[in-house]
Amino acid sequence: MPDSIGPRARILASLVLAFAVSAVNSVAMLPVLALLAGAALWLGRAPWRRFRAPVALALAFVLGLGLSLGDSTVLRLGPVPLYAEGLQAGAMIAVRMLTIVALVWALLGRLSPLQLAQGLRGLHLPALITDMTMLTLRYLNEVRAELARAELARRLRAGPTGWRALPDRALILAASLIRAQDRAERLWAAMRLRGHGASHPVAGIGMGELAALALAVACAAALIWLDRAA
Amino acid sequence: MHLADGIVPVGMALAGYGASAGLTALALSRINRLPDPGAGLPRAAMLVTVFFAASLIAIPVPPASVHLMLAGLMGICLGWYAMPAILVGLFLQAVMFGHGGLTTLGLNGLIFGLPALAAYGLWARMGQRWPDLAAALAGGGAVLLALGLFAALVLLGLPPQLDAGAERLALAALVLAHLPLVLAEAVIVVVLLRVLRRVEPRLLAHA
Repeated sequence: MPDSIGPRARILASLVLAFAVSAVNSVAMLPVLALLAGAALWLGRAPWRRFRAPVALALAFVLGLGLSLGDSTVLRLGPVPLYAEGLQAGAMIAVRMLTIVALVWALLGRLSPLQLAQGLRGLHLPALITDMTMLTLRYLNEVRAELARAELARRLRAGPTGWRALPDRALILAASLIRAQDRAERLWAAMRLRGHGASHPVAGIGMGELAALALAVACAAALIWLDRAA
Repeated sequence: MHLADGIVPVGMALAGYGASAGLTALALSRINRLPDPGAGLPRAAMLVTVFFAASLIAIPVPPASVHLMLAGLMGICLGWYAMPAILVGLFLQAVMFGHGGLTTLGLNGLIFGLPALAAYGLWARMGQRWPDLAAALAGGGAVLLALGLFAALVLLGLPPQLDAGAERLALAALVLAHLPLVLAEAVIVVVLLRVLRRVEPRLLAHA
């Protein structure tokens, strides 16, 4: 995926393509979606661990619907029949889901937090939402590390495990929230000193962004047309 | 308890975006009526990071585990800021971790946002007089409400020819699997709010 495409165009293209993939209903389109997902994975050089949860969910849908929907048995797992209609419906959902996950990764997965926030700002979303995104991304790793340290310390003190650890975890969370409140007050003071509230100029849409968006819309239209024709 | 991409029909996903946008516009208009709306921004962002990180904590429910949702706590701490904060959190989860989905962002915003706002309303009415009861109801009730919304949306979105018996079975399994989470969140919210009321009451929207 060319790095020259701006984050705003990437977010819009992701939405357009994701909705187009969601609109696909014909089983004949499954190979096309699989190809699209493969191309997105190749372009995005996605790490496998990012797809563990979506793949597990996709398999659950195929199995769940395969076991519960339809009349035509294609396979028996012991006494339990697997139905063709359910497998087909499950595969449709699974492939749509995995294609969208791959596309979103290829287009947005490697954007930095700053680029992501700039992209949202470029879409003219309310400043409160874009600023909140920026600040959340800025402090996320710090807070995660803080919670992980507190949890490790709790375990090293031979703290209880499982359900008995719930009150301890609530206390860790409370301490984290209190620190967050303190940090927020200092941050708000710093933001005001730096002139927060001044409007951020948003760059106009460039030719590169327009071309990327036009390509995404063309791909989406082609997908929907092929689906209706299939 | 996120709706993933590709499960619900496009029309439903678009309706979810519309409803979430409406609810967020209402929340933003309420926030803008505050004396200093910007002052709540860093606080909301900080709390979102904590909730975001805490939602990765797993509660063991053999044979698997469930993750904390904390929608009720977000509503109590953030008030109207909870709705934009939840949308920001869900967007980042979809893009950074592949949890939830981009097309289902609006529907997921409703699944988490409505219980958070309900918890905020409950805390505003009952929090002063019966704080522990309000905390337990807000924490556990938010999970139950989110569960109900999630189940309803999944059932609406799945293929219509799905066997009704199988639907009921799947729904029962889903509710059973999440009942421990209702209890866990109620306990966590009660303990946490007891601490916050004593140490940092400014963290509660209606302190």
